[in-house]
Amino acid sequence: MSGFAAPYTASDLHERSRALHRPRVLLANPGWVCVGAALLLSLLGALAIATTEPGYAQRHLVHLAVALLGAACVTVPHFRRLRDLSWPFTILVLGLLLFLLVPSVPEVLVRPRNGARRWINLVVIDFQPSELAKIAYVVVLAGYLRYRSSYRRLRGLLVPLALTFVPVGLILVEPDLGTAMLFLPALFAILVAAGARLKHLVLVAAIGVAAAPTMYPLLRAHQKARIRAMAAQLVGDDSYRRDIGFQGAQARTLIGAGGLLGTGREHAAELIRFNHLPEEHNDMIFAVVCCRWGFAGAALLWALFAAFGAGAMLVAAQAKDPFARLVAVGLVTMIVAQMVVNTGMTLGLLPITGMTLPFVSAGGSSLVATWLMVGLLLNLGLRRPPYMTRESFDFDGGDEA
Amino acid sequence: MPRRASLFSMFHRRLLLLCGAGAVVFGGLTAQLLRLSVLEGAEHRAEAESQLRRTIYLPTWRGRILDRHGRVLAADVPSYDICVPYPVITGAWIDEQALREAKERTGGDWNEMDDEDRAVAIAAERPAFETLTGTLWRLIRTYGDFDDAALLERRDAIRSEVQRLAAHVHDAQRRAWQEKRSDGSLVGARAFRPEPIREQVIAHVLLPRVDDEVAFAFQRLALLREGLVEVRDSTERDRPHMVQTVVLPRAGLPGPMASDQPLRLTVEGVADHLLGTVRREVWKEDIDRRPFTKKDGRIDLGGYRDVDRVGSSGLEAAFEAHLRGTRGMIVEHRATGARRRVAPVPGGDLQLSIDIALQARVQAILSHEYGLTVVQPWHRNQVLSTGWPLNGAAVVMEIATGEILAAVSMPTLATAQHATELRRAIDGADVNRPFAGIYPPGSILKPLTLWAGVESGAHDLDAIVECRGHFHPNQADRLRCWIYRDDFAYATHGPLGAEEAIARSCNIYFYTVGDELGAPRLLSWLRRFGLGARPDVGLARAIVVDGEPAIAGESAGTVDDEARVAALPAVEQRNAALLHAIGQGSLTWTPVQAATTYALLARGGAPVQPVLVVNDPRPPRPRPDPVPMRATLHRTILEGLRRSVEERIGTGHHITFGEGAARSEAPILEVRGVTVSAKTGTAQAPAMMADLDGDGAHEKGEYVTGVDHAWFVGLVGPRGAAPLYVVAVVIEYGGSGGRVSGPVANEIIRALQDEGYLPGGAT
Repeated sequence: MSGFAAPYTASDLHERSRALHRPRVLLANPGWVCVGAALLLSLLGALAIATTEPGYAQRHLVHLAVALLGAACVTVPHFRRLRDLSWPFTILVLGLLLFLLVPSVPEVLVRPRNGARRWINLVVIDFQPSELAKIAYVVVLAGYLRYRSSYRRLRGLLVPLALTFVPVGLILVEPDLGTAMLFLPALFAILVAAGARLKHLVLVAAIGVAAAPTMYPLLRAHQKARIRAMAAQLVGDDSYRRDIGFQGAQARTLIGAGGLLGTGREHAAELIRFNHLPEEHNDMIFAVVCCRWGFAGAALLWALFAAFGAGAMLVAAQAKDPFARLVAVGLVTMIVAQMVVNTGMTLGLLPITGMTLPFVSAGGSSLVATWLMVGLLLNLGLRRPPYMTRESFDFDGGDEA
Repeated sequence: MPRRASLFSMFHRRLLLLCGAGAVVFGGLTAQLLRLSVLEGAEHRAEAESQLRRTIYLPTWRGRILDRHGRVLAADVPSYDICVPYPVITGAWIDEQALREAKERTGGDWNEMDDEDRAVAIAAERPAFETLTGTLWRLIRTYGDFDDAALLERRDAIRSEVQRLAAHVHDAQRRAWQEKRSDGSLVGARAFRPEPIREQVIAHVLLPRVDDEVAFAFQRLALLREGLVEVRDSTERDRPHMVQTVVLPRAGLPGPMASDQPLRLTVEGVADHLLGTVRREVWKEDIDRRPFTKKDGRIDLGGYRDVDRVGSSGLEAAFEAHLRGTRGMIVEHRATGARRRVAPVPGGDLQLSIDIALQARVQAILSHEYGLTVVQPWHRNQVLSTGWPLNGAAVVMEIATGEILAAVSMPTLATAQHATELRRAIDGADVNRPFAGIYPPGSILKPLTLWAGVESGAHDLDAIVECRGHFHPNQADRLRCWIYRDDFAYATHGPLGAEEAIARSCNIYFYTVGDELGAPRLLSWLRRFGLGARPDVGLARAIVVDGEPAIAGESAGTVDDEARVAALPAVEQRNAALLHAIGQGSLTWTPVQAATTYALLARGGAPVQPVLVVNDPRPPRPRPDPVPMRATLHRTILEGLRRSVEERIGTGHHITFGEGAARSEAPILEVRGVTVSAKTGTAQAPAMMADLDGDGAHEKGEYVTGVDHAWFVGLVGPRGAAPLYVVAVVIEYGGSGGRVSGPVANEIIRALQDEGYLPGGAT
């Protein structure tokens, strides 16, 4: 389609180019749907955490306040200003990721937990650089792709893939397989939205799936064991229940115990305590939601995520800036994919990885980082140029394969 | 060329595609959640809820079995085993518990702690568990009479034994795994994981057989922390009267056996057939019959679990449901500590009609050591050699109530234990003969034939029948009287009335009565007397033989079907009538049925049922109908039976010893102060299974034939008074009822005197 509908006059052109640069804030925009859904999810999280850990619930609310502040900070400046900062920001994040891996860093700063070096101790809050890496990655990738069409060719996909493997590689060695894996759906979603040929993407995905088993031996022992435990319970083999599969088994039991409408707060707390659900306020919070409020609670939670996703998609759909479009798609994919991985592992459909449920799980840096994404999404929604800055992501031959 | 075909731009279509992919993923998650929470919800709920409670089951105890005087024949002796789980024995338990407690106490912080902090947290929890195990070991030392070194040694012994076993099992597991891997049946690259063996998980007995008080001390400790110690019920069934020493007089024994010296005998397995056994093993059929955990997951406290005891034979099996009891439980709600207690309900007692002292005496009388039940020269057994051991049964029944005072089966289960497998098979040691052994009645049926003939109107009580030695005037070689043979110089009884016919046990008289009755009528009268009907004293229990349901423990005997006999050709029908009239043919009954019919006879037809369990918990049996019996007939039969033992002409009167000049004789019954009316029976027996060549195996054709079962049934009461008891004795393959079973009955009557049931006893 043609972006400039002729005919136009010189004064039109003038007017339009002025309009293009006029600061303009569109208050009524679907970004608010995301904010609302995120707020409700965060409060639901506080309630869920309070089921067994009221202290953590209070901290969750404090973190939420910090997160809202952070979100406001990234909402106020025009996203173009932020885009200009994307490379310095990315270099900072990469530096932090590398910093985690330096063996001589004192334990005061980087304290391994369960053998993983993921956190930097900032006294008030433990901070995971990988959370920021997600944002940096989306911004950098969107920035790279926004005026290109090279990714319509197979070879053109090499650069985006290479861009992806920098953070993924760094995060994998922490190790944090779960977080690393989130970059792949984001990459694919951005490429799909940007109009890459689907047959190329399918080919790349197929190669990836085919190559995955060869990567298996590279996994750490506990990662392999978790994958085996997941596969075993899916086919009804209970033999891992006592060891590596314990957490998953207890989670499924408690989810099932919630039934349709849940068991209520007191009873859920008892059940969770005496069934010894590990990490119940954190990675396993979805099990708590299901136990306390049952299927209904989970449905509400998923509905909020769906609303969040729909809001972000509308932001992308209405955006007229290619960068904004891709960033919106990338951010929402990161969040929704994380939700899917977390609930999927809790339900026993995916191997257990240490991953929080966005907004809901206790955990400061995760909450703040996720809210930064919400802030960005709102930012994208608030600033919508009246005209397309490029003939955006529409190609002849289109999306047929 | 420009494309404007679509409503949406390509970008928007791609967004829709992404939304679609998201919807599919949401769908998958929702499906799994529905599966867990709706489809399997109840199951998961129950599983989760079960963790909130801790349940301790309390043992119950089986009801006692008592004799008629309240003596305890079988009772539980409570006893417990103190068992310590393997991890406690090795000490690993302390670490496990400290780790668990530390995790629980630190909550979510645990994951944020480093190894050092964790070690500190664990160390802080250890002392509590060290104290607990310390208390456990102290208690075990105190009650188990162990010193420190001995206890350590015992723990080490268990540990090294279990490790040895585990190494062995794990080797086998590893080999199996390698085999599977090499043949490719192992899916995925699953590494070898040794499964902990059972012995590494379960508790091991450190203090066996402790009493209530000690068990209670350990039980309190067990409540403090799960997995520290188990108190396991090891209650045993005590049967204090199973072995008894009996002193038997020998003064009244026949001729050469008589002695002034009483014989002191120790008898084993007194009433063991009756009481039966209890097994510690629970079988699948027990659990199928009444499972502890029902299909819907609910608990039936009376149901069977692996650790239960089950009555497996005799009364223990037949009254299992009554004796068993219901266990109790303590359910502790872990969050609140609240406890709910369901008290155990002990099983019900069974009181038997048996007098255990009399039972022991009767068993001693039937024992081979006493001598009456091994072949003696004066038995004149024509096939078995002197000294051959004989099996048999004896029943003592009270006429007024049908209560069985003694019911002895020889061999007993206990005596059979010493015998070889072959001997046990030949002896049929498992058969509780008084109730389940079936024998042709022989001549002891004759009074019943008369009863049937007279009351049916077929036979005139006053009729005289002439015995010419054989029934058919022209056929001297068949249907003969027992006296019409070589030994007795082909004697005959001549003309006989009913009374004398009974006393002399004349076959010809009763052939005549049977002929008058006809087989169908005779059979239907025999049924009225109780033949062919299981008395159902409570020993019968349903079993499965080759997939077919059957009844074990009690037999109904066999009586031909009247309709079948009525359909036979006239000649066969007539022969059946003749044979049945003298207690032969296809007719069989048990000693208890014999005793019961004689009680019925003594009561003039007033119905009576045999009773073994006085407080029978089952619904009452249908009472049999009275059988008509005119007074003259009653008097005639009793008089005939009395003369049978009191007059020289009677078959139960005397035994002859020796031949020619050395010939002497002695009365069969010589007890004083009582009146006995009795009938002897010498019943044609089926061939006897044997090991004739002594090679230790019974082969085809190794049977002894031509020996008879020896019956003696007597009604006994104080001198000149109505009879009070029936004594029925059958000695298998003993030969003559009078010579072989008569002296046994005589000693049983003496035992009744000595135990105070009849006047004139020694005590």
